[in-house]
Amino acid sequence: MALPATQRLAETAPAAEPPGRGRRRAALTPRYVLGKVLASAVTLAFVVVVNFFLFRVLPGDPAKAFSPRGRNADPQRLVQIRRDLGLGLPWHEQFWAYVKALAHGNLGTSWGQKQSVVSAIGDRLWPTVLLSGTALLVSAALGMWLGARTGWRYGSPFDRLSSGVSIALYSTPEWLIGLVLLTTVTGTAFPSGGMTDPRSTLPGAVDVAWHLVLPCLCLVLVYIAEYSLIMRSSMLDERHAEYLTTARAKGLRDDLVMRRHAWPNALLPSTTLFFLSLGFVVSGAITVETVFSWPGLGRLTYDALRGPDVPLLQGLFLTFSAGVILMNLVADLLYPLLDPRVRAA
Amino acid sequence: MTAAVATPGSFWRTFRRDREGMAGLVLLLLYTGVAVAAPLLADPAGLSRINGTGMPQSPPSLAYPFGTDEDGRSVLTMVIWGTRVSLIVGVAATVISMVIGTGVGIAAGHFRGAPGGLLNRLTEWFLVIPYLPLAIVLATVFPPAVPKIIAIIIVIGVTSWSSTARLVRAQTLSIEGRPYLERARALGGGHWHQMRRHVLPNVMPLVLANTTLTASIAILAETTLSFLGLGDSQRVSWGVILDQAYQGGAVSNHSWWWILFPGLSLVVVVLAFNLCGRALERALDPRLRGATR
Amino acid sequence: MTSPLTGRSARRRAGLALAAVLALLGTVALPAGAAVADTPSPAVDADGSAPPDGSRSPAPPPRTSTSFVMGIKQDIDSLNPYVGVVASAFEAYQLMYDYLIGSSAKDFSPEPQLAESWSTSTDGKTWTYKIRQNVAWSDGEPLTAADVVYSFQRAIDGETENGQYGNYVTNITKVSAPDDHTVVMTTSEPSPSMLYLLVPILPEHVWKNVSAKQVATFPNNDRPVGSGPFQLVEAKKGQYYRFAANKSYFGGAPKIDELVFRVFADDEAMGQALRAGEIDMVQDVSASVFESLRDAKDVATSDSRYSGFTELAYNLGAATVDDKPIGDGHPALKDKRVRTAIDYAIDRRTLLDRVLRGHGELPGGVVPPIYPGWHWSPGDDERRFDLGKANQILDEAGYTKGSDGVRTMPNGGRKLELRLFGRENSDLSKRNVEYVRDWLGQIGIKVNVQIMSEDNLTVVIGQGKFDMFEWGWVVEPDPDFQLSVFTCDNRSTEDEGEVSAGWSDSFYCDESYEELYTKQKTILDVSERQTVVKQAQRKLYEDVVYSVLYYYNNFEAYRSDRFTGFVRQPNDGGSMVLQYGTFTYRNIEPVAARADEASESSDTGLWVAFGVGAVVLLGGLGTAFALRRRATADERE
Repeated sequence: MALPATQRLAETAPAAEPPGRGRRRAALTPRYVLGKVLASAVTLAFVVVVNFFLFRVLPGDPAKAFSPRGRNADPQRLVQIRRDLGLGLPWHEQFWAYVKALAHGNLGTSWGQKQSVVSAIGDRLWPTVLLSGTALLVSAALGMWLGARTGWRYGSPFDRLSSGVSIALYSTPEWLIGLVLLTTVTGTAFPSGGMTDPRSTLPGAVDVAWHLVLPCLCLVLVYIAEYSLIMRSSMLDERHAEYLTTARAKGLRDDLVMRRHAWPNALLPSTTLFFLSLGFVVSGAITVETVFSWPGLGRLTYDALRGPDVPLLQGLFLTFSAGVILMNLVADLLYPLLDPRVRAA
Repeated sequence: MTAAVATPGSFWRTFRRDREGMAGLVLLLLYTGVAVAAPLLADPAGLSRINGTGMPQSPPSLAYPFGTDEDGRSVLTMVIWGTRVSLIVGVAATVISMVIGTGVGIAAGHFRGAPGGLLNRLTEWFLVIPYLPLAIVLATVFPPAVPKIIAIIIVIGVTSWSSTARLVRAQTLSIEGRPYLERARALGGGHWHQMRRHVLPNVMPLVLANTTLTASIAILAETTLSFLGLGDSQRVSWGVILDQAYQGGAVSNHSWWWILFPGLSLVVVVLAFNLCGRALERALDPRLRGATR
Repeated sequence: MTSPLTGRSARRRAGLALAAVLALLGTVALPAGAAVADTPSPAVDADGSAPPDGSRSPAPPPRTSTSFVMGIKQDIDSLNPYVGVVASAFEAYQLMYDYLIGSSAKDFSPEPQLAESWSTSTDGKTWTYKIRQNVAWSDGEPLTAADVVYSFQRAIDGETENGQYGNYVTNITKVSAPDDHTVVMTTSEPSPSMLYLLVPILPEHVWKNVSAKQVATFPNNDRPVGSGPFQLVEAKKGQYYRFAANKSYFGGAPKIDELVFRVFADDEAMGQALRAGEIDMVQDVSASVFESLRDAKDVATSDSRYSGFTELAYNLGAATVDDKPIGDGHPALKDKRVRTAIDYAIDRRTLLDRVLRGHGELPGGVVPPIYPGWHWSPGDDERRFDLGKANQILDEAGYTKGSDGVRTMPNGGRKLELRLFGRENSDLSKRNVEYVRDWLGQIGIKVNVQIMSEDNLTVVIGQGKFDMFEWGWVVEPDPDFQLSVFTCDNRSTEDEGEVSAGWSDSFYCDESYEELYTKQKTILDVSERQTVVKQAQRKLYEDVVYSVLYYYNNFEAYRSDRFTGFVRQPNDGGSMVLQYGTFTYRNIEPVAARADEASESSDTGLWVAFGVGAVVLLGGLGTAFALRRRATADERE
């Protein structure tokens, strides 16, 4: 994810359908649930079809890429490998075989990793979720807190400083931050890369946490702006709402007004964004995973392009889109529960 | 976001009072000036590796204010010419993205039934596929005959329109419900007429505010693709300079000038686009304008 | 709008939802934590793979302090010696298994490994290998001639196995074991390659359980049984591979207890890790990282000679093996004079100094000087950089310059506008092609550079849709394969209208070269064969089939404060790791008994990190508190 996945969503979520304003005010009826589930299933089916054809267009000669470039391969052997990989078959036959295997939960065998696609993805899934998930949690929590404070105290020096820094970081590619961290911090207190140190005497979890700090920091620095800016603007919206005036009139202290009244209502857009971003967690962070040698799915995707490793690419993109579709569904289903206005209705 | 926008005049008055927005605008104008005047500011011959006159990787000096790169070329020359490429990529990709996004969005909102459904599915597909992996895949699809820079522009344009389309579709749906469109339909206005005369003008402000934000994303995307080695090394952009610097060991050799100047330019321009975009949003949205006061 | 009351209950709701999310992420994160927490346990569970007999292996031995960690840039694609293709995978196979005959550290000459001795019949077609006595597999079973026969038979018969080792065994018609320590092989014709049989010898009693069908995906990562100097104990794909020393190795016990390959995605990070002492050695790093390591404390750098070269290749008229023209190569490149002029216009000295920063050698033939017996150098016939001469050759050949400075072909047809392809994942490649483009511009040849992925390049080369490209080869100790690349039979093939690439990337097809190639293939006398190999290289140089740009070095660096005893292959300035053999791994030893320091220092680092983290956290909390206080104060005013 060169751009934080959420960067795109930032434009969509709050602006297109300002939650609490235009967004559907549906109650959580069985009909609503069924509709949402069906729509997700249709999208997923569409993804399966499009992905299949997308990777068939990629140029390359997998037979040559995945056999040793040395005396060990002769031209006849290349022809043989091409046949084994099923490259010669007509497209519709390849597609049918793919769908049939998919129905059995079989994503095929990765040409480059020499193992089943499911296990290749399985190996790398947890590192990715650990890195991107932690980064997302931390940045959402910090960002929402920061945004609430700055929005409430709009125009204060703290707001100016925080917003300025946020936008500047938001405008920086995360790998550039990674490079700066790599040269300045590593080698002193933090390791240069990887997820574990095979020679470490520390307990495994601590070792991983220690390796997690820098790549995670990289992502947090970029993601945090998003949450803080959105939270800030929702807070601005709420600031002048009538009910707050009522609350103030009742003599409540200012920070209590913020925490009890403004904050819960302003939380909605950020929460929506959080769920949408959650879907992108599995797709990893290619550039940061590269700079810090993190063994995640983003890096695996980049490696799978060599060849190209079509079965692995198919599996990866299916996993990615399934993650996003699932989380969109969760967001849709949670929405009626979260929106106080829907509840009140 | 509302379609009931004030007149251009009042819009400009609002924008002008926005200090953030004006700062962004001034920076953008400055860099555009550099891009346009590049041939006057630096001799393009300085971009050729065999013409590298300085010592490789020497720090900033009078002769080379931004230092030199691995082949003794002036980093200043490269940053100046890089401005041109980076801005062209950013703007061109944004135009593509806006045209596709607006077109698909309006059509998806206007046509009901199968065509609209299909466009919706297509938009959904682009929304659920992670941006960078898709961009990387698409970047490798183009045949060698297509100049890499064109490929990059198309890839960025094609992968970044979906959120615009979604926005525009929502807006179109709300406009389609308005009385004057019912009237236009009743009077027998064709699809084209309805979309062009009634829907498009009403979604334009929305698209406009989206443009600057998309431009910032496009420039970042170009840089990231370059960092992954997929950029057009024949046409030096900031991203390509940064990639060359990284590959050339600027990090371990502490050649800070080689990263700092293109990196700073990049961050400043992206920041300027973001500042402008946010200011545009505020100027177009009376709700936020109120808050600004 | 909403009432304050609703607001409050909504907050509770939101709180609940957030708790739900946290719980969700918790379940997600926990297995991850658990998976990494038990690093000492076998890693194979991740893959769900069990050994063929279904038994679970014992836990790997505890970590030892004399472990040697080397950074690798390419992950091992498979530990199964029948399927892995990357260099690091072959490095692992060498550690785990043995070959019949090894290559000496001195000069790559054949030396005994599993075979103590060998002999050839007078007609050169029957080879007898005497297998070493008292060699045991890591599970205690004895290694016998039967295992050797089994391994070779599998490489001959199995489809996957043959794909991997086919070329070593194509000549072999029969393999047999008259007794437990003798192997006899017969070949269809005399072949010097019988001394370079890089087919790993695997234990029959284990591999007979891996069927022909299973073998293509068998991971072989759960305590595999081998006979080599190191045995795999833990594999974490994408992260690291741990090998324990085989203290009863027949070639002598390794002096270290453990060898670890750690995967890095990036040169800079790998360099930093060496500097910080997280790893003990790096290899194949970029010139720039290498240079920066030269001043690093306690790090020794080695500019090792390597067996690779980089070339500018030409499309000499692409055609299939049936001589059917394919592709769209520029006709001018069929003219040797044009290629000669281009060759004169390349300033190799500058490429070497600038692009390689001096870490390489000026070129000659396609076999690098690291193999001195086989290498050919043009000597006085060398075409040195001379733009004037290049222009003169083209002028004389009738390629006249137009008003735009670009030459046209003598028959007045096409302009000398050539495509030059570079590779996108190589910074050196991108620089080389730009240099070449600008030099050729000065002799009236317009070059359009295009950068593409190696996959894409492979395809366009196979189809003959190129004029020139930049790429390289790594040459094996036996020059046969490298020379075969220029033979007619290695051009592309056409099958049912579809063109498939062979190994030829120049489409060179020359009768007298074919003769030289075929001749060297069957000469058993080394010096006689070397003469023919050199003649073949001279022929390639004279015909300007390639413009070899340079021979590049391999950059290696290690912690000299920790380990000593590195062995080079060849002894004369060669590489210390990724050799044909395991010389360095078996011979390095700790400098002194200070192995504990590494882990101590990393612990110190951790505490520093915790300290910094705590300070930042406290600082943040303090600021937050202060701000809150001020906010409340503001409110009171």
